[in-house]
Amino acid sequence: MAKGKTQKPGQTAEVRAKSREKLRFLAEMEPKKMITYPLVVFIVALLLLAVHFPPLGIDLKGGVVVTGEGISANPDQLEKELSGWLGIEAHVESFTSVSGSKGIRVYAPAGTDPQKIIDILKEKYPNADFTHSDVQPTFGEMAKKQGTRAIIFAFIAMAIVVFLFFRNPVSSLAIIFSALSDMIIAVAVMGIFGIQLTTATIAALLMLIGYTVDSNILLTTKLTKRKEYTIEEAYLSAVSTGFTMSTTTLGALLMLWIISTSPVLDNIAAVLIFGLLADFMNTWIFNAGVLRWYLSRGVEL
Amino acid sequence: MNRKLKKILLNWKVLLLIIFLIGSIGSLYTRGLTFGIDISGGVALIAQTEEPVDSKTMELVVDSLQKRLNTFGLRDISVEGQGNSIVVVKVANVSSTEEANQLKQVIESQGVFFMEFNGVVFGTGKDITYVGPYEIKSDNSWAVPFRISKSAAEKFAELAKGKAGWPVDMFLDPPINSLLVVPQDVFMTMNGTAFNAGAPDAPPLAARIEKALNITTIMYTNQSATELKEMANGRAIVLAGVPRELYDGLKDMNVSVKYIPSEPSADTTSFVKEILGLYGPYSLGEGLANGVPQTDVQITGRASNRVEAEREAKTVYTVLKSGSLPVKLKVISMEFISPKLGQDFKKQALYAGLAALVAVLLIVYFHYRNWKIAIPVASTSLFEVIIILGIAALIKWNLDLPSIAGIIAAIGTGVDQQVVITDELLGGERSTRITRRAGALKRIGRAFFIIFASAATTIAAMSFLLVYFVGTLKGFAVTTIIGVLIGIFVTRPAYAEVAKYLIGEE
Repeated sequence: MAKGKTQKPGQTAEVRAKSREKLRFLAEMEPKKMITYPLVVFIVALLLLAVHFPPLGIDLKGGVVVTGEGISANPDQLEKELSGWLGIEAHVESFTSVSGSKGIRVYAPAGTDPQKIIDILKEKYPNADFTHSDVQPTFGEMAKKQGTRAIIFAFIAMAIVVFLFFRNPVSSLAIIFSALSDMIIAVAVMGIFGIQLTTATIAALLMLIGYTVDSNILLTTKLTKRKEYTIEEAYLSAVSTGFTMSTTTLGALLMLWIISTSPVLDNIAAVLIFGLLADFMNTWIFNAGVLRWYLSRGVEL
Repeated sequence: MNRKLKKILLNWKVLLLIIFLIGSIGSLYTRGLTFGIDISGGVALIAQTEEPVDSKTMELVVDSLQKRLNTFGLRDISVEGQGNSIVVVKVANVSSTEEANQLKQVIESQGVFFMEFNGVVFGTGKDITYVGPYEIKSDNSWAVPFRISKSAAEKFAELAKGKAGWPVDMFLDPPINSLLVVPQDVFMTMNGTAFNAGAPDAPPLAARIEKALNITTIMYTNQSATELKEMANGRAIVLAGVPRELYDGLKDMNVSVKYIPSEPSADTTSFVKEILGLYGPYSLGEGLANGVPQTDVQITGRASNRVEAEREAKTVYTVLKSGSLPVKLKVISMEFISPKLGQDFKKQALYAGLAALVAVLLIVYFHYRNWKIAIPVASTSLFEVIIILGIAALIKWNLDLPSIAGIIAAIGTGVDQQVVITDELLGGERSTRITRRAGALKRIGRAFFIIFASAATTIAAMSFLLVYFVGTLKGFAVTTIIGVLIGIFVTRPAYAEVAKYLIGEE
């Protein structure tokens, strides 16, 4: 084989080695600190949730949404007008679609007749295109119950599979805790940004379980099943892989978030972004801290 | 190089990927993708039965709802029962909100049907086994033939023996088990012979419904809300044409109460019919009063003109048809997406997908500074999307937004795992250059341990979603599971082979 061709992978390895060096500061952290800091963040997230839980979307609490496309209006003014006419507390948001056309979304409490809102809007904007959804509180109640159940069961299923794969309480519990912490932090950040908890965001939280487990399994496998490297070397190689994984996924999600105006896709992307950022901390700092502390005691995993 | 390329292409794992790709493109081309209501436009309604039902009853509900909607001339309808109380109705090609609301009314007016004679219910909706097309004769008389079950026919024959001319009542959604409070004139009408179909000996309507449906009719004489509550004795209260304040008062006392305002223009008889959901009464024909059970019966009537006859016959026809619903449905969620807006979503999903793919390509290149890695990683993801879509087309899965989210999730984990494989292959490079094929195999094996572990957890988690979730998130679970399976069995092994040749063995 020609020499020029073998150079490229060599180069690649060099690039990888360089990025690994950049992450070395993580490897030099004290395991104790690596465990405490993420724990503090977890507790802060719990407190945040206690005082400010994310608002429930209409599909979990019931309500009416009317979307009008092709309407360019001042949402605050429209909100006042609609609330006045209908005698309800309406909330109006505006958005711009990918093709550049503007639209509005009107949120109204359950029991409002969506047709009434549409009739009023139609009079003002005869050329707009309307879409609505109307969810009764009973359905919201059911969806909420099912969503909670789905998350709990999915979590338990994940925990069981992780236990089966690693058969060690410390590394399994570290993975399970970091998955839990990812979710709690993601939900807390949703609360901060006012992102609603909907069936779509519940789906995103479920997706998060998959992503979390990916990176944690990678870390645990590399640190515990690989005897030919030192712990530090194994950690560095795992963290650089993890860094590549997270940034790539984050990039793709960011694209999704920027381009779509569908609230479903938008919210899913946003929640996953929060969760992946939390996951980076929980896997590569917390879980790594636990494993390094554990391995430094000379136990075989 | 050519020899190498051939070697890669002929590797069975790569061949499998190619076969899947060709199959998927073929399936996409021949069968095409079907989109969910939230993308292609239409109405999605979720209805709940009044009480939980068994699977057999659910089947009946789904079946008759489908028939009913079909008789309304709607196409592209899917009715699906989920669990013991949820019915999901999806109708494509609905273009206006008015149409969407009409649909909701059709589903909700799917009533509970009773046939009553002389104060005895002899049949309900499930006793109607067949409804024939209605006929209108030149003299503007009409007839709707229908068939009732054997047990109903026997019961009826016994009841009706020798009572020719007596009234047969049919109710759609009467307020059973209730206290009905009406003004004096309505009360008098219900206790008179106005509803006796010309048979003065028959008990009056008020007595018939009291005995058959446990509806007690009382005259409003300025009773207070408290007094009414006492009289109702736990039953629901129906206020018809009485002062509205009573309604608020009873509501405040947590009594189940329904208010029906009187229409000033309507006459008393039609008001009574509205309150009770009464159709008829129909006079019992001579031929049915001989005590012999007959399952093939018909309801007849006569109107003043053809249009009126047509309307009456059609009403009875629809009532009989829809009356075969064994339980009442309430629409608890309704979503209408206009086709235009859906089109926009489709475009967005496509753009977002392509942009995400480009982002993956560039970021992976940035990390490795090597197109030989970036291009295979990004194209593997693209292939994965094509195969998932191909399978979706094959099984005629309706792609809705959650399904698309599921595809994104599968691609996300897919890229992650390809990075794991790549790094495993590269990882050995630095320190163990001497390790050749055996080393690469071992490293790939390790990468696949990670991949299988995470695939197993994702599938376990998603299976719960698939089993336990009602409604929209099923699509998410389905596409995620398909994506993960395709990933571990088809695309990832092929990528590993290609990557091994491109970087591992050079």
